[in-house]
Amino acid sequence: MRLLFVNNDGGGFADYVDVTQGMTVEQFFDEKMPGRKAEDFLIRVNRQPVARDYVLKEGDRITVTPTKIEGAA
Amino acid sequence: MEDAKNTIRIADRIRDVLLRLRHSRYLELARQLSHLGRELQDLTAISRKMTIALAHEWLSAAEDCCHSVDRLLSDIPYSVSRIQQFAESPQKNVPTLAALVEDLDQLEQEFGSLEFDNQRDTISVTTEPISLEDIELGPFRIQLEVSKLSELYYTNPYYVIALEPNPAATDHSVTHPHVNGERLCEGDGSATIRAALEEGRLCDFFTIVRSILNTYSPDSPYVALANWDGESCYECGYAMDSDSSCLCSFCDHSVCEECSSYCRSCEQTICIACAAKCEICEEPVCPRCARVKCTECQVVCCESCIDEGLCPDCREERKAEDEERREQVAGTEENRESSEPNTDSEQIKLAS
Repeated sequence: MRLLFVNNDGGGFADYVDVTQGMTVEQFFDEKMPGRKAEDFLIRVNRQPVARDYVLKEGDRITVTPTKIEGAA
Repeated sequence: MEDAKNTIRIADRIRDVLLRLRHSRYLELARQLSHLGRELQDLTAISRKMTIALAHEWLSAAEDCCHSVDRLLSDIPYSVSRIQQFAESPQKNVPTLAALVEDLDQLEQEFGSLEFDNQRDTISVTTEPISLEDIELGPFRIQLEVSKLSELYYTNPYYVIALEPNPAATDHSVTHPHVNGERLCEGDGSATIRAALEEGRLCDFFTIVRSILNTYSPDSPYVALANWDGESCYECGYAMDSDSSCLCSFCDHSVCEECSSYCRSCEQTICIACAAKCEICEEPVCPRCARVKCTECQVVCCESCIDEGLCPDCREERKAEDEERREQVAGTEENRESSEPNTDSEQIKLAS
């Protein structure tokens, strides 16, 4: 099934991705953000906070934004 | 109902601006291409000059051409990469009005409140109080100027304003390690912020800026948190930054530039409290060099003023005494010579 994934980590691309039916948001995060901790990110599905076991549906919009981003001078 | 109408009106305004932004992307690309074209024309002109210079063996002119080429070649890669950035990035779809309204609603949920200033044409949110390494920086307002969104490619359309400022002691315009003059230095968030604004994802933009404000990057702040409250000069209490503080080699206290000096004999840095004074030239000397004294009168002397263990005055006196002694010795010898009998002339007298 097709979802819109907005990754605000790094380049900040928004793109459509294909995932398997029945995938939870936690599984999605682990697949797309390997080695990263979910608690370091703001994760929203369809603009709402969701539980980690939320099952993704066709057309869902998932946004992942780091809570810590280094600035500069 | 009024709030909902207002939100729709703002969303419509943002949509207009994003459409203009799409247009301005092409304008900026055209401008960059024109600039690159001029640079290439300049290279062609230099090439012609070089040919003429070589034909006449004007080597100095040829060397000038080399410098001009070098300067242009260092600028061209930047122009090329800018053009590439615009040319290869896909056209951004402008969000629908409904999507923008949803975005603004989400923004209000994430931040608890959202302010529209119709006169200034701004959208603002306020962060929670920010604290980094136990330094309270207070809450910040992130203020986006909607009209400037269409100028995203050459101007920064937002400000970060400290609402309860606790600025760095050495620079009051630095209200956060990465905010100077209400401008955020985006660092790692730069590309993400640009993408969010280009695509009209305003909630993402504000949350990314908030994430940067909640992060301290010790490698590149305007003012490091360790120096946030400044370091006080040990002598006068002035709040100084680490670049302008001096360490006294004797007492190990940090002092400001006004309260520091250096020993004219050994050139060590000293504070004004530790500094003694050469009693001849009145220049500062360190406590160790201040132990050097004239062997005659015991005044403290720096290296420049002491010679063979004597200060200038005692040296003069010694010289005068030596002169006097020499004259006395010379006088005594003369007298002795004149009082001794002249045996040769007396013998002649006796003989006659």
